[in-house]
Amino acid sequence: MTMTLDHPGTLPAAAPNADALQRQGARERRALASLTLPGAALIFVVLILPIGWLFWQSFFGAAGQPTLENYARMLKPVYVRTFVTTFEVSGLVTLACVLLGYPVAYLLAQLPERLAGLLMIFVILPFWTSVLVRTYAWLVLLQRTGIINTWLVDAGLISEPLPLVHNMLGVVIGMVHVMLPFLILPLYASMRAIDPVYMRAAANCGATPAQAFRQVFLPLSLPGLAAGVGLVFVLCLGFYVTPALLGGGRVSMWAMQIADNISVYGNWGAASSLGVVLLIVTGIILYAFKRLFRTENFGGTR
Amino acid sequence: MRKSMKQGIIAAIAAVGLSTTAMAADTLTLAGLGGKVQEDLTKTLFKPAAEKVGVELRGESHDGLAAVRVQVQSGAPGWDVAHLGAEDCAIGAAEGLFEPIDYSVVNADGIPERARGKDWVGTNTYSVVLAWRTDKYGDNPPKDWKDFWNVEKFPGRRAMSVYPQEMMEISLLGDGVPRDQVYPLDTKRSLAAIAKIKPNISVWWSSGAQSAQLLKDGEVDMEAIWGSRIAGVIADGAPVKFTYQDGVIGFGCVAILKGTKHLAEAQKLVANIVSPEIQARIPTMMGYYGPANQKAFEVGKFPPEVLAQSNQSPENAAKQVIMQPTWWAEHMQDVQEDFKNLITQ
Amino acid sequence: MPGKVEIRNIRKSYGSFVALDDVSLDIAPGEFLTLLGPSGSGKTTLLNVLAGFVRPDSGSITIDGTEFLTLPPHKRNLGMVFQNYALFPHMSVGRNVGYPLRLRGVSAAEIERRVRDALDLVQMAHLADRGVDALSGGQRQRVALARAIVFEPSILLMDEPLSALDKKLREHMQLELKRLHDRLGTTTVYVTHDQREALTLSDRIAVVNGGRIAQLGTPDEIYDRPRNKFVADFIGETRFLPVEHGASGLSLYGRPLKVRDEWKSLTGDTPWLVVRPERLRWHGEETDAANRIDAETTGVIYQGDSYLVTVRMPDGVEIDLRRGPDIAGKELPQRGQPVHLWLDREHTILVSDKP
Repeated sequence: MTMTLDHPGTLPAAAPNADALQRQGARERRALASLTLPGAALIFVVLILPIGWLFWQSFFGAAGQPTLENYARMLKPVYVRTFVTTFEVSGLVTLACVLLGYPVAYLLAQLPERLAGLLMIFVILPFWTSVLVRTYAWLVLLQRTGIINTWLVDAGLISEPLPLVHNMLGVVIGMVHVMLPFLILPLYASMRAIDPVYMRAAANCGATPAQAFRQVFLPLSLPGLAAGVGLVFVLCLGFYVTPALLGGGRVSMWAMQIADNISVYGNWGAASSLGVVLLIVTGIILYAFKRLFRTENFGGTR
Repeated sequence: MRKSMKQGIIAAIAAVGLSTTAMAADTLTLAGLGGKVQEDLTKTLFKPAAEKVGVELRGESHDGLAAVRVQVQSGAPGWDVAHLGAEDCAIGAAEGLFEPIDYSVVNADGIPERARGKDWVGTNTYSVVLAWRTDKYGDNPPKDWKDFWNVEKFPGRRAMSVYPQEMMEISLLGDGVPRDQVYPLDTKRSLAAIAKIKPNISVWWSSGAQSAQLLKDGEVDMEAIWGSRIAGVIADGAPVKFTYQDGVIGFGCVAILKGTKHLAEAQKLVANIVSPEIQARIPTMMGYYGPANQKAFEVGKFPPEVLAQSNQSPENAAKQVIMQPTWWAEHMQDVQEDFKNLITQ
Repeated sequence: MPGKVEIRNIRKSYGSFVALDDVSLDIAPGEFLTLLGPSGSGKTTLLNVLAGFVRPDSGSITIDGTEFLTLPPHKRNLGMVFQNYALFPHMSVGRNVGYPLRLRGVSAAEIERRVRDALDLVQMAHLADRGVDALSGGQRQRVALARAIVFEPSILLMDEPLSALDKKLREHMQLELKRLHDRLGTTTVYVTHDQREALTLSDRIAVVNGGRIAQLGTPDEIYDRPRNKFVADFIGETRFLPVEHGASGLSLYGRPLKVRDEWKSLTGDTPWLVVRPERLRWHGEETDAANRIDAETTGVIYQGDSYLVTVRMPDGVEIDLRRGPDIAGKELPQRGQPVHLWLDREHTILVSDKP
């Protein structure tokens, strides 16, 4: 007796209902796919279309003539400087957010969940005030005649007010305040997901608490940290209000140049080309981050 | 029931259609930059002017020349007249966005030449002035921009605008250029002068509110600031004074959008807006601005304190430089970039 | 041989809940001791006290005569296998196993050798470079074991290490664990709630209940000589039949009961006869008619390797008996038929409710 195995694709002669069942399967798949349509349409209309328009527009001059001058202009010193400043500020703010935010997230992750949830309100609190209000509040605190300098001078600690604002320092302080929750939230979530048993296992292997933190907890929290860092850095690249108000005119960021191109020169093409460059650079950074941390699900834990 | 409803709808549509036709006949649409300023300008200038012409006035707001450009390019602008900053008027005129002003209808005798063009005309003025803290300088305050640039004689923290308009002008004045030789701007000399004062500029302000706050809080001792903002600071009781000496007069303007269906009415509206009679309302109703038409001071009778305060009273106007919008229209972007490059260095 | 553990008077309470109530226990060097008990009994708490993860209120633990309780966890030099393995997800198999050695400053070459040896021992050497995410449950279990023994700890702790595996793999791993222990001879403290696992693996079992050790003994002592009803109930498939204690002695369902050990009555407690179903006979010689029970068959179920026969005692208690298919002798009883059961005297166990 010989037995042949049917190829999975070819059905034996008598295969009752095979066609009907296949059609049913195909119909179900189509129905499922159609569920994504509204979302896809929305993304197309509010994301793909405007970005395409942005690209298109960036190749036209102020008077509507097709040109590459919008891109050529970016080689001018002021744009190069702005570009460098943007990354410098974003890098500094991100670094400060990491240094300030990591311990906070760590503390919250160690606390009982209820208490942590309560304290989290204070982390999120800044979200509930407008950026403009927060920025002006920093002016009140930081300027020469502000609260901090007044205290320090009155206490005799300094004789001249410190230059805390209208410079890079002021911009970084103001932006860190705005950005900190964006670092803490994903970081906290990923730290919560780290099973405390790993720290016990490390201790059991002979690791001091410091070693266990450095060699086990820290690496395990990196995906969350990367998500936070990526988020903060990319959001910083597009910052406008805070650097404009706290930088004293000295700190020029890319987004401020975009705004100038529209509101001062009325040159949408030039503004679009700046936007395109920022978009591309942001994309490259996100891609690099993804590669660097090999996280399948950016923003989640492993 | 169904039938009567249908008839009702048709009737409603017809009524709407009728009313739009009616609007087209005697309504003019004027688009401005919005906010408190447009409100005040409407009350002071636009509304009374429209009444004189005998048309209804509809107000709209835009966010700059780009919006006006879009309206004109559409072929059938929804606005008849736009109120803009003078540089935008000059740029728009160069682009051919406006109808020429009919100067046989619009009497521009009292309006300085720099404050009008072939296609546009100034409506209101403001001044950039030198202001200082009296608690810092007491009886020996800086008198003009030369003193602003003199850091040995007048030490102290200074503030200027982050935008080059008017700042370039005052830098040349500070560097010793006579008022009548400011234009065309010597940008090289101007930037050199700004580079010189840069170490003493604590803040480059980017909004009017910020500029007022800086002086009010004593964050700076001396500042180039819009005269319209100073009034509020002084009214708040801050120890601050200012001078019109060497001030730079800038202005707002109106232009008629190319393709408007109501060209004749629009010309008449513009004529009335800049007429001495209506311009004379500015010194009392909008004390922080000045009229564009000098003849306003011949028509109106003002008490001395109003005259002393107004930037366009003959005595004050004589001390100042009138900004040349056409120069800025040509050089805006390059100058802005060089200026920004310098101050962010 | 090192590894003698003396646990003395360990107390630990969480508020009013007493997790460990004055626990004392000696563990001999090289012994495989199992802490067996239901969840919440305190067995895991005791293990965590040993590991240093739970700080008791009072007590003492010495290992080879040295006080141990005051040492922080990382200085205790204990190997531990965690319930869910706790392999570090950011390290490869080899780095996981080598981690304790790295912390001890062992040279790289030596680490490599010992990691290989440890992985060889658990038959995982071929997967040394894998990430732990790529391993199956059983493989993780072996790696966790290798990590716990690679630095030759004086004591090995295991916290329900097989509970996450399926039944077949669990039984296989039990035998492997036993072989490994025979080979290494490391003193081992093992926590489980699975009585069969405890019986299979242990030299001695400590049955834990309510924060106390209910009974400590070898597997057969625990199984055949349970000291109280709790232990008897927890170990094996156990049925309890009520025993009457009259002037004429003990009786079961009206018939006199002959027992192996004399019933030493404590005032007021009732004796229960512990019935292990596999000890009930319904065939063979009537060696001791005194311990006969007249029951009724209420069900017979064919289960492949055996029959499950359900019998009902005179008071209505039902007991499931397992009967092999090919045992010579009496016929398989039919449903509804009466059946006579015997319990040999040496298999009678009496317990009381009292601990």
